[in-house]
This record gives sequence, structure tokens and C-alpha cells, in this order.
Amino acid sequence: MSNVVLLDSQSHRKLRVHAQAAAHYGDNQRFVAVVVNEFHALAMHYPILFSKDADTGQFYCGAMLGFDSGENLFLDEHRAMSAYRPLNLQRGPFVTAGSDLAIDLDHPRVASSGDQELFTAAGEPSTYLQSVMGLMRELRPGAERTRIFIDTLMGLKLIEPMTISARFDDGSNREFTGLYTINRDQLKQLADPAVLDLFRRGYLQLIYLMMASLDHVSALAQRKNRSFLPGGDLPGREPLSPGAA
Amino acid sequence: MTQRIQSIVIVGGGTAGWLTAGIIAARHQGRMKTGFTVTLIESPNVPIIGVGEGTWPTLRSTLQKMGVSETEFFRNCNAAFKQGAKFARWTTGADDDAYYHPLMLPQGFTQVNLVPHWIGSHSGRTFCETVCPQGQLCDDGLAPKMITTPEYQAVANYAYHLDAGKFAGFLQQHCTTKLGVRHVLADVTKVNQSEYGDIRSVDTQQAGEIAGDLFVDCSGFSALLLGKTLGVAFKDCSDVLFCDSALAVQVPYETPESPMASHTISTAQSAGWIWDIGLPNRRGTGHVYSSRHCTDEEAHQALMRYLGPQHAHLTPRKISFHGGHRETFWKNNCVAVGLAAGFLEPLESSAIVLVELSAKLIAEQMPANREVMDIVSARFNDVTHYRWGRIIDFLKLHYVLTQRSDSAFWRDNVAPDTISDRLKNLLHLWKYQSPWFFDEFDRLEEVFPAASYQYVLYGMGFRTEVEPGDNVATGTMAAKLINDNFAMTRQMRSQLPKNRDLMKKIFEYGLQPI
Repeated sequence: MSNVVLLDSQSHRKLRVHAQAAAHYGDNQRFVAVVVNEFHALAMHYPILFSKDADTGQFYCGAMLGFDSGENLFLDEHRAMSAYRPLNLQRGPFVTAGSDLAIDLDHPRVASSGDQELFTAAGEPSTYLQSVMGLMRELRPGAERTRIFIDTLMGLKLIEPMTISARFDDGSNREFTGLYTINRDQLKQLADPAVLDLFRRGYLQLIYLMMASLDHVSALAQRKNRSFLPGGDLPGREPLSPGAA
Repeated sequence: MTQRIQSIVIVGGGTAGWLTAGIIAARHQGRMKTGFTVTLIESPNVPIIGVGEGTWPTLRSTLQKMGVSETEFFRNCNAAFKQGAKFARWTTGADDDAYYHPLMLPQGFTQVNLVPHWIGSHSGRTFCETVCPQGQLCDDGLAPKMITTPEYQAVANYAYHLDAGKFAGFLQQHCTTKLGVRHVLADVTKVNQSEYGDIRSVDTQQAGEIAGDLFVDCSGFSALLLGKTLGVAFKDCSDVLFCDSALAVQVPYETPESPMASHTISTAQSAGWIWDIGLPNRRGTGHVYSSRHCTDEEAHQALMRYLGPQHAHLTPRKISFHGGHRETFWKNNCVAVGLAAGFLEPLESSAIVLVELSAKLIAEQMPANREVMDIVSARFNDVTHYRWGRIIDFLKLHYVLTQRSDSAFWRDNVAPDTISDRLKNLLHLWKYQSPWFFDEFDRLEEVFPAASYQYVLYGMGFRTEVEPGDNVATGTMAAKLINDNFAMTRQMRSQLPKNRDLMKKIFEYGLQPI
């Protein structure tokens, strides 16, 4: 359950938050919603795909972080801040309510033992809170830009379903359905004015980032395979260096 | 006579006219640039009858091929899901007498016939629940798909309930703006024929003379072209199917949140039956009855009893009809579709599916020129005759399997001289072997597949003798399929949303095209 209230420098003066990445704080997501502003940073590490919101059926963009429900194979890097952490994970217990910042007081990150204060003793926003406000300034218009990007692609029939199948070293198979990507054939057949329009709006670059990011699927599978190695799933192992596949 | 067929003229602007226009225009889009035209003449004065609000799953592919957005269709036609029909009180007339005719095929239908295995198992389960999840989905009030399921795709097979009046208007809009169909609002005053009897043109009051190469008669019961002009007679089937009257009434929901059935409910009465279908904004109900077996007043009382005292203020609309069809459907250069071709009581929603199948056949077999048209029309008549005959038999099947003898209507319905020889033969055969997908049903596009016969026969307690040894060869496979069905049923019941909830989401968010 959640208990979302507007953030208030008086009543929330003493509130503290756990900001670091951890499964029990909600970072255990295999697929997290992302916005187009992040594509550049995301495309370094993760497959970027489309999926549908289970409640509304509307398309959104997401980064794939694992194969199984609750599996984020990048937790170590997110904790070490050695790989880009998607905004929707960074924002932690914060949401926007209109143009105001709100906080879910029942979020597991909100605790007196938290490593980050929200306000200084003088009642000013802490550096941490300022960074949250900064990322919200990215996230909110980003969501709108992402929606328009998706609508444009849908209108051009540039989105097609895909299924990711993987076979792992422990002999198990996974099928990840409900994913969608760029329809390359349709892209090739686009008329010149449509291509020019996509280019001018910066969409062509986003499209190619999404297409290129699919190469990370096999790296992601190898990452999962490493967790089957002796000691591979033990906590406290050496963080993997980004890109070591 | 080697005149090319380039100009299609449809007379009549109801569901049949616009569906036919859309199907033909969509199929022949590529020829539009070289002079192929589809013109629909609609009288501004003749009201649309709006037969039946039930359809078959074929309508999904029909609409998809026409390029219609399913979301727009739902929103503009007050359309809703239909997962089949529930027949209550048809077998014994008792309170708990009911069975489903669902739209999903029995599990593994093309691999094993599960009927003898179900009979041999004496499991106490109904045939429907043994072989298919859909009866339970209907009982639970669940939708046949999710908001994430793309347009026209199904988790459980489905058709639609729809508002026929709105549907015709919606199709008109789509046909004229997207498919290049020419719409002429005019009354036909005279039909002009050539010396061979072909229709050359029609004179209209408002738009002058309109010529054509092929005329499609969608003028409704009046059958202006095929009946009145070309003199093709009507073949009455009231000796087999007795119903000839209906009292129809639209019933409001208690609240906009009231549950909404995703199946047609057909409840047998003493001289007919009552239909009850759920649209998003209202229910459509009506009493279909035989005027030879009950008075209008009795029929009215039965309908009001069914609806309950809270709806006593509603005033049903009386519709009289003649069950039957034209003796020929395509004569010279004129083919009839919809009510102009015939009408049967809407017991299994056969009206719109027959329009689709006929229009599709015309579109697919569109004769290149007048010379070969007679070859095509002979085929068309052959297939269409077969379909009407089979539909009449299938509707009659619902009546002949009854055990009711509480009124003359039901007693008369089982009289041997009211049953066709083909149906009698089949019933005889089915005592020893159950219908399955490759025997008897030899046409590519059966209106009612063998599965439908299975659901009705075994839903109504028909018994086929089973030789236990016969089940040995396929026993393992059958057991697996039945278990698969139970697993599938559990999964669907846990995943699918309530029918009402999904309808609300479709109105709010829409379904995605992929």
C-alpha cells in the first residue's frame, strides 16, 4: 500500500531516506519504465524495448534489467554507481503531484535509519533532495515526450512484437513475452518525408539507439549465467566491471 | 456480352448493404484506380430494420480486412463481447436446465474427438466444461481478453453484441471516407432491364439514373430487385421453424456498473424463447414466438415476467417476419444479400454472418465479365442454398432435442414431418457416432462447424452409444487434452478481467492495434 503526501519542509524536516540501490528497497525490477531523455545513457548497458501497461494497455518504453520476475542483474553496479541507474529507480519514494513533489511515506526507503536527509538543519533542501528535484524535472516532461514518440511510431506502424527466448547454463529456458521493438522492415520502407520528419524531431536517433540496444540481450543472458557459477549468487562478490561480458 | 464488371451498385443501406459495400470495396481497392466503383443507393425514407444484435467471430476478420479499428468499432457501435450463448429451459424446462454453446472449439478438436471419451468417463461434468473453458468464463462474468491483448486478437474466441442501427452508420462512415464507396441518398423509382433480363440501371427520384454491371439487392424484406423485379419466389420455412413474431425491447441497466453478460442468454418459453444480450449501455431483449401457438398478449406477459416488475413500464416493439429465403440468390446480374435473401429467427445469430459470407464470396469470386458471371452465380447459388439448408437444420436441432411436452409448441416441434430428411438421417447416425470435424461437414466455410453440433447435442442430453474398446486407441491423448483444458480454464479464470471492467477500459484507453 502507499501513503503519498505532498513534501513539506516543516512536517518532513526530520525525514530520512535510503537512497542506495537494493532489492528490498524496490530495485528488484526486471523491466523498468524509462523516458526518451535517458535513452543515450541507457543504451550503454540495457536493451530498451516497448511494453504495455498491464492496467491500461498503453505502450511505454522500458529498460530490461533481468529475465525473471524481480530480477535486476545490475544491482551491484547500481549500488556502486558504476552503471547508469534509470530515473524511475533513482527517484525512490518520490512522485510528482501536479508540479509539486510528493513522497510515499510507506515506501520501504523511508526510515529514520536512512542515509540521506531531505532537509538541512536550516530547512533548506539537502543536496540529495535537490538531485531528486532535478531528476523529476527530467522525468515529467520526459514521460510526455516519450508518449508522443510512441504515438508517432505507432502511426507509422514502426512497432512490432518480439519475444526474447533464452536458454541458460542451468538448463532452464525463459521466454519473455509482451515486448515490442522497432519494425526494421517498415523503417526501411518509410517514405522520404517521414524519414526527414523523424530525423528533425530527433526520433531517428532514438530509433537507432533502441535497435542497437538489443545487442545487450545476449550480454544480459551471460550476466545471468555467471550467477550460476560457484559463489556467483553469493552477496559481497566483486562487482563486475561494466561491459565485461 | 463480354462487358467487364467494373461498376457494382448496391441498393439498400442497412447492415447488409454497408457490410457488402465494405467487403467488396476493401477486396478490390487495387482496381479503384482503373475504374472499378462501388456505389450504394440508400433511401432517405426507408428506416433500417436492424436485425439481430448478435454476430459470429467471423466479424472480427471481416472488420479487420476492411481496415476498421476495433476500438472505434466498440466505441461507436455500443459493441460488446459475445463468447457464445447460454440456452436455458430448452431441454426439460426446469429452473436449473441450461447449457452453453461457446465459441471456442473443444480442446485439441482437430486431433481427437473428445465426445466418446467424455461419455465413456461418466465424470458428472458437462460436455462443455470438460472440453472448453468458456462456459465457466461466462459464469464468472469474465471478458475473453485483456486490455493488453491487441485488437481483434483473443484469449478466448469471441464475437460481438452490437447496436445494429449504430453499426450501419459506422460502416457508412468508414466505407465512404476510407474505402471510396460512393453513397447516393435516393429512392429507387424504376428498375430498367435489358432484353435478357439483366438490370441495366435504376431510376431514382433524387439522383437520376444509375447504371451498373452487377447489382446487389440489400433492400431488406421487400427484395426490390431480386424479388419484385426479377420475380424470384420466396421459400417459406414456417413448416420447420414455427416462430414468426417478436416483441423487442431495450432494457436499461440498474447502474452503469451493473455486471454485463458476455454471452447471449436464450430462455425457452412455452411458445418460443426470449433473447437477452448485454451492450455497454443497455440490454437488448425480446420474445420470439409462434403466433400459431400463442397470442401477442400472452407473449407480452411472458416477456414482462422475464424482465421483472421493475421494467413493467417498458413498451416492446412488435416485429412480424416470415422465416425462409429466396429460391435463388443470384439471378442474371443481380444477387441478394441480407433480408432480401431471407430471414430466420435469430436463435444462433445467423443473419450477419450470412451477410459476411455472401459478400465475401461475391468479392472473392467477382466475375471478370458478364460472360462468366453465370458460372460464378451458379456456384454462389449452390453454396448459399447449402448454407441456408444447414442453418435451418441447425436451428431445428435446438427444438427437436427437447424433452419438453408442456405445450403444443414443443410437442409440434418434434413431429417427424417438421424435420428435414437430412437432419433425421444425421440424428440417426449420431446415435452411433458423434459429429466431428471431417465427416459430413464438407464445405470450407461452414456457418456452424461440427463443434457447434457437439455443444448443442450433448448440452441437450443427446446420447451417442460408445463402444469402450473404441476409446482405447486415443485414450491417453484424450486424457491429456482434458487435463490441458482444466489447466487452461484455471489459468484463464485467474487472468481475465471482468467483462464490464474491460469494456470500461476499452472506452477509456482503447485496445492497441498490435
